[in-house]
Amino acid sequence: MDIELSKTDLEFQAEVRQFLSDNAYKPGEDYNKWRMNWFATAAAKGGWDVPKWPKEFGGPGWTPSQHYIWEREKAGKNLPWDLPFGIGMLAPVLMAHGNQKQLDRFMPDIRARKVIWCQGYSEPGAGSDLANLQTKAELTEDGKHYIVNGTKIWTTVAHMADWIFCLTRTSNTGKKQEGITFLLFPVKQEGVEVQPIITLGGAHTVNTVFLTDVKVPVENRIGEEGKGWTYAKGLLQHERTGLAGISNSLVALAKLKKNARSIIRGNGTLMDEPAFRSKVAELEVDLHALEYTELRSLANAAAGSDPGPESSILKLKGTEIQQRLAKLTVEAGGLHAAGWGQPVGPAFAHSGMQSYLGSRAYTIYGGASEVQRDVIAKNVLGLKKKSSEKTRTGKG
Amino acid sequence: MNFDLSEERTLLKDSISRFVRDNYELESRIKHSQSSKGFSAENWNSIAELGWLALPFPEEDGGIGGNQIDTMVVMEEFGKGMVLEPYFASIVLGAGALRRGASDDMKEAMFEGVIDGSKQLALAYAESQARFDLHDVVSSAKQDGEDFVLNGNKCVVQNAETASHIIVSARTSGGQIDTDGISLFLIDVNSEGFELLNYPTVDGLRASEITLTNVRVNKTGVVGEVGAGFEILQAVANDAILALAAEAIGTMEMLYTDTIEYTQQRVQFDQKLSDFQVLQHRMVDMFMEYEQCKSLLYRATLEVVENREGAQRSVHALKHLIGKAGTFIAENAVQLHGGMGMTEELRIGHFFKRLTVIDMQFGNSDYHLEKFAA
Repeated sequence: MDIELSKTDLEFQAEVRQFLSDNAYKPGEDYNKWRMNWFATAAAKGGWDVPKWPKEFGGPGWTPSQHYIWEREKAGKNLPWDLPFGIGMLAPVLMAHGNQKQLDRFMPDIRARKVIWCQGYSEPGAGSDLANLQTKAELTEDGKHYIVNGTKIWTTVAHMADWIFCLTRTSNTGKKQEGITFLLFPVKQEGVEVQPIITLGGAHTVNTVFLTDVKVPVENRIGEEGKGWTYAKGLLQHERTGLAGISNSLVALAKLKKNARSIIRGNGTLMDEPAFRSKVAELEVDLHALEYTELRSLANAAAGSDPGPESSILKLKGTEIQQRLAKLTVEAGGLHAAGWGQPVGPAFAHSGMQSYLGSRAYTIYGGASEVQRDVIAKNVLGLKKKSSEKTRTGKG
Repeated sequence: MNFDLSEERTLLKDSISRFVRDNYELESRIKHSQSSKGFSAENWNSIAELGWLALPFPEEDGGIGGNQIDTMVVMEEFGKGMVLEPYFASIVLGAGALRRGASDDMKEAMFEGVIDGSKQLALAYAESQARFDLHDVVSSAKQDGEDFVLNGNKCVVQNAETASHIIVSARTSGGQIDTDGISLFLIDVNSEGFELLNYPTVDGLRASEITLTNVRVNKTGVVGEVGAGFEILQAVANDAILALAAEAIGTMEMLYTDTIEYTQQRVQFDQKLSDFQVLQHRMVDMFMEYEQCKSLLYRATLEVVENREGAQRSVHALKHLIGKAGTFIAENAVQLHGGMGMTEELRIGHFFKRLTVIDMQFGNSDYHLEKFAA
């Protein structure tokens, strides 16, 4: 056991810091130009624009500790906006199961951030029980197309997206995990209707997507018909590992303390008030523990094992920590955190409330906390389930 | 020993309950919240006509002679619909201060209009640096002949936007956190130097930041004795906490019952969510927290009404638990509704936001736990 970063890691850390500071956004700069330049410069570093991609697909091929350093160094920095759907979610599926034609067709645009992708998984009747999805894809008689009908829900950025990767049902026989097929098709076409869902606080990021007789060429199917579930499952594990947000929580914790110290109470600050202080301290303890849970999981990965069940622990604990951070920020804001629309009082009070409302979804999406606990019970503790409770995964 | 409501109060409860049911579908609430006033003038008139505004006023002042128990009945029912009309700001807070400190002339001038709803009040007690301390007052009032001249800022004043008169706390003597030396002033919102910055709050209500620049108030506008405003503020704050807690109880009841209903309908993994034991236990916990809050509400309200020793401590206990249990119930109601709980479409999220704000009003959960322990 040792926790020292190696000499190579320390050099890498210095290189990352240099890169981030050299390419930081300068006030007044054209944002979009900067954004595209940033990705181009990162690509020129040898795949830094797609850190998680393996080397054979143009990624940097970092070691787990290099990934860890990258995550920590970039947290809290002003990086160009990016969406996880193409780069982080579809690309790994394509790499594992797409054919050469599909790779050639889709990967370059994903990497160039040219095409915005969204994820068509959840349905009104298939949330936590994702395998229950009913969106139907029927092969035409000539075998050239699928005709897709159904409804997808909680589809993030569908209203901005060019393409959707979608789980559809091609067969009703056998287990419900069988008969699911992974299809790609454009959003902006006849038969696809996107309806906004307004979430707490008035934000529009998720949508309902109605699919009516959407014609999808068979060459847009990933892998085999009926195997989509297996492809998506691997993806969900990826998604969960990414949702722990530990690096960001460390930055948020430092901010919370700074903000709380700006609230003067008598001769001290809010950080000196016993109840608040102890809640912050408890949170920090949990976060310190989780940091090492993540490191242990990274060390396993370095030794060649899968992310595995640790990904459920990380997601579960990580999202709860994010929620507590948001709640404490609201509490620090005091009465002013109630202000809405027009920021009043300390600047963090307003954004704190927005984060708090948004954070309630963290324990719902990407596999609700209840589902994560089931996964740990079943896969880690070896506790058996009644048959009807088996194979739960997906969104709440 | 009897915790049942009297016949009169049961009738009152039923009639308010009907009013809320008929007028407070989520859609109407959103519409009224986004209207120019931020509430429905029609509803406000109905509330006045039904006599509810008169409830806590003594009979000799044209009221019905009710007490905090009546207010509890009103607020609990209001909490079930998240009523927007400024009953709390005008009748509990503003009029609460006037009932305790107004001179006969002031009562004469104000009460009729407040009771018939044509006048509305607000109470500007909070200041940015004070966090939740009522006695932390920097705004100043200096005597100048027959007048006082007020300067300073007040923050997050509910209903300032539509109030005709606002009661403002300002320091006439003493240091920043002295309980002595705070005075209350009844100020006409049209007074020179009285400026409002209005904004919505996250729970669909409205509030304002107030700037006072050489606002002149005649000494007849002092509510209570000069320098003795803190006692009035503290008593009003206790009333406010009882009222907010009652509202929160109504809100919590809706949250846990809606959740039970939803989980009985929603099927995942080929069974109702309500069949999962882990979710059953969560709902049991929500229910128990609700019942515990209700018990403390009764305890604190009765002790305040009967002016018992320990009443102040029970008020602190109540506000602490309301914040803590409210957070637990609201967060779990959203969680058990899944994605639907995150939408503006269901009332769950709106109740969630209201409970979040209630925790901040008149001291949050931590603040009152500390006071309780002190």
